Amino acid sequence: MASTQSSSVPSRGGGGGDGEKRLEALALDKVAEAADAVASAACAGEVVRAVHAVASLLFPVDSATVAGTVEEPFRSQIIEAATLSNDERDSWRCAFYQGPAFPTMSKILLGNVAMKWLRKIHASARNEIYDSFFVKGPPVEVIQALIPALSEKEDSKEDHQTFFSNLERLLILCLLDNKGVFQIVAEFASSNKHGDGIVNPDKTIFISRVAQLLTSVPDKARLGASAALTSPSFFKDVISQLLAGAEAVTVEFAADKDANEHCALSSMFHFLGEVLSRVSRRGSIGILVAELIPRIRNHLHRCVPADYKAISPNMIEHVSQSQFWFNMVEAMRDQHSVERLTEELLRQLASNHISDGEAYWILWTLFNQSFKRLTVMRAMFIDKFLLWKTFPLCCLRWILHYAVFECPPNSATETLLQRSFFGILQNLASIWSKKEFIQSYSVEQQAYITAAIGLCLEKLTKKELETTKDVLNSILQGVSCRLESPIDLIRKMASAIALTFSKVVDPKNPLYLDENCCENVDWEFGILSPKEIKAPLQAVESRKKPKTCENKRNAGEKKEKAIKHDIPGVRAKIVEIKLDHDQRSDTATSEQFEEEFDRESMNTDASGDSSLEPYDLSDDDTDLQKKFSHLSDLAAALRKPDDSDGVDNALSSAEKFVRASPDELRHNSGDLVRALVHVRCSDVAMEGEEDSAEEKRQKALIALLVTCPFESLDVLTKLLYSSSVDVSQRILIIDAMTEAAQELAEAKIVKTEHHGNLITDTSPSWLVPSNRGPPGAGPWREVSEPGTLLSWSHRYEREVPSRSGQVKSGKSRKWGLGKAKDLQVGWSRNRFPLYAAAFMLPVMQGYDKRSHGVDLLNRDFVVLGKLIYMLGVCMKSMAMHPEASALAPALLDMIRSRDVSLHAEAYVRRSVLFAASCILVSLHPSYVASSLIEGNKDISTGLEWIRTWALQVAESDPDTECMSMAMTCLRLHSEMALQTSRALESADHSKAGRALPSKLDSIIIPFGNMM
Amino acid sequence: MASIEQPRRRRPPPDPIAVLRGHRAAVNDTCFHPSLPLLFSGAADGELRAWDTASHRTVSSVWAHAGSAGVYSVAAGAGLGNKIISQGRDGTCKCWGIEEDGLSRKPLFTVKTSTYHFCKMSLVKSPSTDARSGSSCSTSDVEPPRVSIEQNTESRGANPTEAPQEHDQCTTSNGHNMLAIAGQESSQVELWDITNARKIITLPQACSADTTDHPTKRKGLCMAVQAFIPCESVGYVNILSSYEDGSTLWWDVRKPGLPLSSVKYHSESALSIAIDGFCNGGISGGADDKVVMFTLDHPKGTITLRKEIELERSGIAGTAIRPDNKIAATAGWDHRIRVYNYNKGNALAVLKYHSDSCNAVTFSSDSKLMASCSADTTVALWELYPPKPQSKVEITQTD
Repeated sequence: MASTQSSSVPSRGGGGGDGEKRLEALALDKVAEAADAVASAACAGEVVRAVHAVASLLFPVDSATVAGTVEEPFRSQIIEAATLSNDERDSWRCAFYQGPAFPTMSKILLGNVAMKWLRKIHASARNEIYDSFFVKGPPVEVIQALIPALSEKEDSKEDHQTFFSNLERLLILCLLDNKGVFQIVAEFASSNKHGDGIVNPDKTIFISRVAQLLTSVPDKARLGASAALTSPSFFKDVISQLLAGAEAVTVEFAADKDANEHCALSSMFHFLGEVLSRVSRRGSIGILVAELIPRIRNHLHRCVPADYKAISPNMIEHVSQSQFWFNMVEAMRDQHSVERLTEELLRQLASNHISDGEAYWILWTLFNQSFKRLTVMRAMFIDKFLLWKTFPLCCLRWILHYAVFECPPNSATETLLQRSFFGILQNLASIWSKKEFIQSYSVEQQAYITAAIGLCLEKLTKKELETTKDVLNSILQGVSCRLESPIDLIRKMASAIALTFSKVVDPKNPLYLDENCCENVDWEFGILSPKEIKAPLQAVESRKKPKTCENKRNAGEKKEKAIKHDIPGVRAKIVEIKLDHDQRSDTATSEQFEEEFDRESMNTDASGDSSLEPYDLSDDDTDLQKKFSHLSDLAAALRKPDDSDGVDNALSSAEKFVRASPDELRHNSGDLVRALVHVRCSDVAMEGEEDSAEEKRQKALIALLVTCPFESLDVLTKLLYSSSVDVSQRILIIDAMTEAAQELAEAKIVKTEHHGNLITDTSPSWLVPSNRGPPGAGPWREVSEPGTLLSWSHRYEREVPSRSGQVKSGKSRKWGLGKAKDLQVGWSRNRFPLYAAAFMLPVMQGYDKRSHGVDLLNRDFVVLGKLIYMLGVCMKSMAMHPEASALAPALLDMIRSRDVSLHAEAYVRRSVLFAASCILVSLHPSYVASSLIEGNKDISTGLEWIRTWALQVAESDPDTECMSMAMTCLRLHSEMALQTSRALESADHSKAGRALPSKLDSIIIPFGNMM
Repeated sequence: MASIEQPRRRRPPPDPIAVLRGHRAAVNDTCFHPSLPLLFSGAADGELRAWDTASHRTVSSVWAHAGSAGVYSVAAGAGLGNKIISQGRDGTCKCWGIEEDGLSRKPLFTVKTSTYHFCKMSLVKSPSTDARSGSSCSTSDVEPPRVSIEQNTESRGANPTEAPQEHDQCTTSNGHNMLAIAGQESSQVELWDITNARKIITLPQACSADTTDHPTKRKGLCMAVQAFIPCESVGYVNILSSYEDGSTLWWDVRKPGLPLSSVKYHSESALSIAIDGFCNGGISGGADDKVVMFTLDHPKGTITLRKEIELERSGIAGTAIRPDNKIAATAGWDHRIRVYNYNKGNALAVLKYHSDSCNAVTFSSDSKLMASCSADTTVALWELYPPKPQSKVEITQTD
């Protein structure tokens, strides 16, 4: 050993490349020697000695410590090993790592040594002679040795374990603990420092490979590897080193004037870009951005003094680190990653509640270089981010300020709007105005673009607006198009734009299309807030109109209550005021007429006039309204449009009159219905009271429908498709029918308690599941679930004794009022099924016919939507009645037609989903079961269609509400399937006694997981 | 003092003390007998009824103006004595005697005025007859009111002595035998001598009717008249007339060509006018939403606005001032009787009973009762702010 050591003293000056080659060969020899020694080693000491021999050539090894860990004779051998000077070691190391020696050595170290000996080597010795090879070597070389090894396979499980845990330990040590990535960055930078500046292709490939290796670590690490190697923490660490390193390097270069900065840094940026793109491709963009934001914010704070208000680009450019930030995005060659990065950046900035100004300057710092030069970048901001994505509103503001207005928000100097601005606005507006856009885009997207246009309009002046004729037209078209929409939010968007637009045209005369439209438009529309709280799936029903109705009613009640509550106070006030007034006027008049009535007051006694104490002067006009005594008068009064008071009176007394249901009602109802439909409330009612007049009219119609359904329906259903009525009247008819159906169906259930046994219906209701079950099972009890869809149908539960062997852990208690109540038998007084056919069948014919003034499928789709909704309500109103089963196939037929179920308007699709859900809940399971058994195609295919169609909608409908309704529909379908399976079970049970229990048990109940 | 003791909270308005039912058509007018406890009412079907105000029963009934014409107005006055006059829309006014068992079966006499308009006739009111309850017209040159016979005086006896005016027979006769009514040419006002069934004068006088600036033709139909003899006019009849365009004119028979004064308080046709006991002022109502209180300035001959009261609902068909000048009442199309403090002009009560538009309101001469009649075929009797029962001692003290 000694001889080789002496001969191995390298001569640094010895002939350039030749000397290096020689040294590399020598190093390889040394490695070979060590390899032999390790291979033939019999004890750990021998291995330590062999490895130490190589290590001491390269690193300043503390031989004494190493020697202390082994026994003789190795101890003395280690101590005897010659120590080299620093220069000598450097040249050795250079040769070792650049040549083939390191890869060979690392193979030995990672393989044989790690698996057989490492555990036996003392930790301090391991630090000195084993880890040094990786920690002290250049990290670029080290990772090329370590990371590929991660994907190697070892035979035995134990070996596998040892091998990988060692590898991972080394990786953490060298990349994370030792700031390996930082070193890599520095290395790439310095390698090109004085080079020719052109990165040769080989080098490019090499850099990419390093980057690829680096980012592949979390993927390659084993499942049980240390947490530091999982992608979140690993990437977090890597990126922070990377950014810090790159920033430091840039600063260094900026200080060094000689260096050709751009060229010198190109490979470093190349590496940076590669790593960042790969990280983003691997789905860890969030971690990247989370690291990025604090750094860039710090940077901006560094650039701008805290008390400085207006930032100018110069201030940022002057700071040396800026060069790094300017180039960072451009370094990412991969456009997709840039996009992901930007998107994530915007979202995270929004959730951090960063001020508009700061956000603008962050965007400016990152993108200002590339935005001007690269059309791709501009397209990303202007096309992708404005038209295709949706961001929170604040992000939209930043995007607009950065990419469209090109000026910082709240900037004191009003910059002139760029020409590109008008192009963008034009583009936005033309898309916004299209009918197809309203139909086929999600509400979020629509709100987003609406907000974008609104924010752009706010920047405009009237003059500028007039120069862009097309914008004007598109906006008007878009507004009018939206105002027709049945969806409230869409109308709200239209009125918001209209308001903004009118403010541009004439700031003094804003146009309020909506009553609750406030001066400052809320562009968020409740959708575009940064924290997106998705409402939980609600019942289909509650999504639809009834809810709003109920709300309205509730609101009305509340209002009424409030008013009632207020009345005493108000009246007291009025009285007070009046009193005051009286007193004042008293004094005034008495002064005025003092002279005149002097005489009189002398003659009459003092209390003469004051004895004239006023009575309560309150007055109302309830008695003034004309009373109608004949139904025919009522109809006649309604037909006199010039006598508005008369019509008004007739409207207000109509409902009461009809509800009294006089004998002649049956003969006059048709006439009255016609009169009510044709009366023009808006002409008659006083301004501001049109709504109440409309309401009275609708209530009167409902009353008619309820009191004599057949006669009224006969007229109404004919009127519905006649060309003599307009859309509003059609909607009125449908609304009235809907509410009448609900009223007729309003189940008044008479419940009898089971206490006495006098007259009781002991046979359980057919709604109750069969009593079969394990012995000892308790009686079925109805579960009431207020507010959920499930309460439409009936749910029962019972107590089941635990099976033998089933361990009951803990105690469960139910708290409730009283004891388990007896099963109550109820009789439904639902009158609707009797009239259901008259309600549904006539209107289901001819909805698709197009005649003069009637075009339900296209123009009047709102009517169609309402009609289908009404049919759904009808179905629901006769839930579980045999009539439902008879009418369901017809309704299924209607909604299955392509024109209806695939209607372009979301409104119609929602109605169809609602109707489908109603069919599902209203069919009696036993009917479904029997139709399955008998092979009734109508029902089975119809129900199957509902399922597939709902699935399709839930997957791909642009309207989010449709999607959630479809989900509910699916849930209902599965519940219906469950009920049906129960019905089948009981049918089988009654047929075959206890013959087929095993088969029935295997029915999969899709119930538990759908809740 | 009573008012102070009264609680501050307002009482609910009173209900009628009695409702007189029996008419089969809208009741157009009603009036109290000046001394007897009788009330007369005329309905649109021509029936004239007399009611006992104590028992609230019909005393007698005659078909005064047959058929569709109907009774449009009834009037009784101290000056007429035991007679009442009914005006029908058949062009006649009929005078009926009051007998033991009610009305005479046949009219004592009939005045053919040949008028078919909507103006209720008016008897001549003089301050001394009504304003006897304490004060009298200070400038009156007649003998002071005779307090001793106040309560139960027979009008017959009272009349000749109370009527101080010795009218110039060429223009007017005794005021008690005259009635004012809109003329055949309904923009004119005529003054008739009842007993002689003779037209005394036409205002504006026919001679000036042809002139270009006809004072009333452009004002439309005459809708209401009120004749009176103020103290200042020395017995000459003055007339207030209201016209379709809302204006009110003040005539003096001594100047039949032109009115003394002309004012326009109403934006729509003025429908009723009433004058207070002193003949110093009055109240008028019309088809618009205003009730106007005005004063008459006799020396200057001008009408001045005293108070204008806005109404919630327009249309006043009748007005009346209580003989003691304390309160005034209006009969509204809105089915309400409204009561006002006549001196101050503030509202006192809104009386709701009638279920159709009210046609007239009147007070009894002792100020204790008020009667209102309505198109709902009823007459309602009310007791409002009863005047203080004044003992004779007090009265003599005040005197």
